[in-house]
Amino acid sequence: MIETVATVESNLEITPGYRLLTLNFDEEVEARAGQFAMLRARASFEPLLRRALAVYRVAGKRQLSFLYQILGRGTEQLSFVERGGEVEALVPLGNSWPVEMPERSSVEASRRAIVVAGGIGSASVLMLCEELARARIDTQIFFGAASGRVASGCGLEDFRALGLPLTITTDDGSLGERGFVTAPLERHLRDEVSKKSLRGADSTIYACGPWPMMARVNEIAARFDARCLVSLEAPMGCGFGVCVGCVVAVKTDGPLGYASYRRVCTDGTIFSADTIRWEVNAMSH
Amino acid sequence: MTGTVNHDPRLAVEIAGIHFNNPVIGASGTFGYGLEFAELIDLNRIGGFSTKGLSSRPLAGTPPPRIVETHGGMLNAIGLQNIGARAFVEEKLPLLERYDTRIIANVFGYSDEDYIEAITILNDGAGIDAYELNISCPNVKEGGIVIGNSPAAAARLTERARRASTRPLIVKLSPNVTDIAQLARAIVGAGADSLSLINTLVGMSIDIYTRRSRLNYGTGGLSGPAIRPIAVRMVHEVACAVDVPLIGIGGIASVMDALEFIIAGATAIQIGTANYYDPRVTVKVVDGLSEYLDRTDSPNIGSLTGSIIKDQP
Repeated sequence: MIETVATVESNLEITPGYRLLTLNFDEEVEARAGQFAMLRARASFEPLLRRALAVYRVAGKRQLSFLYQILGRGTEQLSFVERGGEVEALVPLGNSWPVEMPERSSVEASRRAIVVAGGIGSASVLMLCEELARARIDTQIFFGAASGRVASGCGLEDFRALGLPLTITTDDGSLGERGFVTAPLERHLRDEVSKKSLRGADSTIYACGPWPMMARVNEIAARFDARCLVSLEAPMGCGFGVCVGCVVAVKTDGPLGYASYRRVCTDGTIFSADTIRWEVNAMSH
Repeated sequence: MTGTVNHDPRLAVEIAGIHFNNPVIGASGTFGYGLEFAELIDLNRIGGFSTKGLSSRPLAGTPPPRIVETHGGMLNAIGLQNIGARAFVEEKLPLLERYDTRIIANVFGYSDEDYIEAITILNDGAGIDAYELNISCPNVKEGGIVIGNSPAAAARLTERARRASTRPLIVKLSPNVTDIAQLARAIVGAGADSLSLINTLVGMSIDIYTRRSRLNYGTGGLSGPAIRPIAVRMVHEVACAVDVPLIGIGGIASVMDALEFIIAGATAIQIGTANYYDPRVTVKVVDGLSEYLDRTDSPNIGSLTGSIIKDQP
């Protein structure tokens, strides 16, 4: 974890409301797939708190990119920072996507991964997809967005460039299948399982997207007995575990009590989906 | 990080017989159990820190959402989630032994007995330098009245805590009162060695589309630069009312902010919310204080405490 001031290489609009921020660091940063940074335009008085953004891409040891959606004051402030400008950064933070599946069969063909990206949740999984491809793990990507325009803003072209099987859905039907991304995910698992050679348990599902999407992915994964990992989002005060503001309720044996809450920033952001109490929302959506 | 630190001797202060290398202290609730900052700053360089509030038993805290950002600050309703006094003594204190920094154990409870129980557990812990009583909690035995909002209840608790404690006692004042000087006098009269102020101000923020509070708990504590002028005014009022050393708290994010509190009457200061968005702020303020002494030809930081000039009408 380094606390530093990074210099802006570029801050490009992909589509209206979606941007790609590339930062140069003086020190080496080793960010793994799924990790995040706390960022704020330097010396800006408002808003106060840094914003948690997933590391989208790594270029060399001193450059990181962040794909983000302008959602409020913090991301809007970041959108104004120009090339050569400065951004306060704490990075890398949180755990990372586990790609190894040692408990599975050692036969390559049975190691399968399913990546589900919803909206700007895509920012957390591009590096994961690259890593899965490098590990020669059979990977299917399900990519959902509100519209074709939003899909572009969420990095669709970068996902297409991976050359992995990619299923696209949009809420308005302007691109790919109309509806939620969970529909083709469910069909895919049903088809897989109907092929007698495969079991749901042969797949690991990696998901990042809106809370209701991840809750639904968890239900589907449970039904097909597939392992499911999710990267959660929560408003964060600090990003390194001290404010205890970003907690998510996790399953314990009894009612909500001590040990019922875990910090999204330092205990996650990646959790096993079956440990989360999905009915206790981490934030208002 | 450990090692020998060359402290600026002009920054040393004393509170209730405890020596602090400098007057910069991490505030309770924003500094974890200290260890979380070891990777970000050299803990030996700050005067001390106050732990996350410790209760006699571990507490889960409130369901999320727990925080919401506001203009110049934030609201929090964490519900005092903590590992409990016993776990702090057994698991955290041994790891803190290697640092030359003062450790203040922040204590809270939901009845006088709760506080006493937590203090009794902490009395066993080696390396704690002082206690800081968080009295901004509702007293369940008295219909949920907030102890710190009643001078009589606060004084009674202070007296009992003073007797139970083997260490200097700092009481952290709630600002949610009509007359903070009156509250301060009552607490000092009951035996507090020092006062720290202010705790957060009770606030609320509403989502206009759901028409619900943005916090699960409903209300939350407002902190950050937005509350600083209120805190400076209160430190000044309390400094005029009592003779014990004061620790100023409330929206400090820079050395200039810290100096306002010192000039208003604080012997030391605590930095809270700023740690979240500027994790090295404490060390920056320490350096800034030395520079200020150089620039103003002041002999030491103590000479500035309460040095406000009151020649306005």
